[in-house]
Amino acid sequence: MLALFQGRKETPRLGTIRQLALFSTLSRRELRVIDGLLHERRYLKGEIVFDEGEEGQTVHVVITGRVLICRQGEPESGRITEIDAGVVFGELALLENAPRALQARAEEDCVLASLSRGDFESLLDTHAVIGSKILLQLARQLGRQLRDRSPAVERRPL
Amino acid sequence: MNSSNIASAGTSRYLSSGPLVWTATVVCTTLLLALLKQALWLVVPFLLAIILYYALFPAVRRLTLAGIGRETAAAIVAGGFLVAAVAAMVPTLPWLAAQAVGGEEAFFRYLAGGRVLIDRSLAMLEAQFEFLKQMDFHAEMGRKISEFGGTYIQAHLGDVLLGAAAWLPALLLAPFLAFFFLRDGRRFLKFLGEAVPNAYFERTLYMIDRVDGTARAYFLGLLKLTLLDTICLALGLAVIGIPGALVLGLMAAVLAWVPFVGSIIGCVIVVLVAATDFPANLWVVYAAVGLFVFVRLLDDFVFMPLTIGRSLHMHPLPTVLLIFAGGAVAGIPGLILVLPLAGVVMVVAGTIGGIVNDPRLGARHAFAKTLRARRITADLHS
Repeated sequence: MLALFQGRKETPRLGTIRQLALFSTLSRRELRVIDGLLHERRYLKGEIVFDEGEEGQTVHVVITGRVLICRQGEPESGRITEIDAGVVFGELALLENAPRALQARAEEDCVLASLSRGDFESLLDTHAVIGSKILLQLARQLGRQLRDRSPAVERRPL
Repeated sequence: MNSSNIASAGTSRYLSSGPLVWTATVVCTTLLLALLKQALWLVVPFLLAIILYYALFPAVRRLTLAGIGRETAAAIVAGGFLVAAVAAMVPTLPWLAAQAVGGEEAFFRYLAGGRVLIDRSLAMLEAQFEFLKQMDFHAEMGRKISEFGGTYIQAHLGDVLLGAAAWLPALLLAPFLAFFFLRDGRRFLKFLGEAVPNAYFERTLYMIDRVDGTARAYFLGLLKLTLLDTICLALGLAVIGIPGALVLGLMAAVLAWVPFVGSIIGCVIVVLVAATDFPANLWVVYAAVGLFVFVRLLDDFVFMPLTIGRSLHMHPLPTVLLIFAGGAVAGIPGLILVLPLAGVVMVVAGTIGGIVNDPRLGARHAFAKTLRARRITADLHS
């Protein structure tokens, strides 16, 4: 009976999800909720994750491997950035409900965790605490990206 | 056309609602209903289980967030519902037993009350209009009603009651199915997503979200609408003074799940009760009819937009066509099922239409297959 209140041990799977920046601030219980919503996808090197102009329906987090963000069809000349393990991408299309601005390709074999727009929105409605933690992490990442890509922007927090 | 345009071609809208999709929706829905008709004993409990699933799902989610595992949470919520349902049934059991014993007698008593009402109404009409008197309208109609009551109803009543009794065990499946939906529903959706190639994955997720959203909005809306209808009808009938207002209100509200026909049957039942219990006071009957018309108008203009709303996003013309087709193909269950089924078919047909019409997705899938084939055969070439 007491085991019901003690909570279960963290499984390797939850440990992996906790390593992802987007979910690093979630408690074990909250991670279990998120685990039920995440879809794991495997991509081979060179495979396209999404195209520029496509309607964004998911936000992706790289579990292993690396993803290249580039201009459509220009993986060499149009390289924008590389997404390493633990980092989220594709979040702007989801937040703005807009088409994807760039193409994403698997730079090497990779495993992604994907969260759909429907699940994300329902999370905001039903689990406001989890939603706000994820949104805070997203905002932090966007701030980092803004600083990294615009050297002119003051490095100190405003 | 540059590569960016190629990528976005056909992806501007996931769901196209062209004539092809509409035709596919109507045809597929009708075919599905024809198939479902063969397994109605399973379809109705399945439908009730889906309604239960959407009603109980928020409780499971709350328990999951409180740290309880999904399986345990589903068991607690489904078990809790079963206990609550049994607890609610216990006080009504003596009443139900009494009704079951005198059920047939009560049925014919109310039928006789209805006939008296029709007799009186016809006599009043004949007194008002001379041409009806010349046609001997009252006597002629009375004879036809007697024939109908004496032969058709008595011949078929046993079959109807036996049919209803045969459905009862199947209905017990509903909470059982709902428990498994609550426990494994999310796992099934993930399994479905995993079965889809990477190129089609986002669209499939979108489709699953839309189907889930459509069904959830429809069935939860239906439950809220039933609650509002029950409250309004029960209050109205209680004010008029008709006995058993709550039971009659609930019965009429549930019957309204059958489009068009259900509301009329609900109204007829209440009119029969009013005519039997107040044979000398026709105003009670008129007030009951007026109440039904008023609640119907409230439904159409206030409650439905607030609850079901435009959850199915369907044009009125195919909606009406589908309702007729549903009734013709699968009877009363067809009438109930046709709209939510059409909503789901429309989303699936629209998404598949979008995927088929997008050559870029096909090309991406072919490219991924080539990459995999190359990987598998890499050592063979060296």
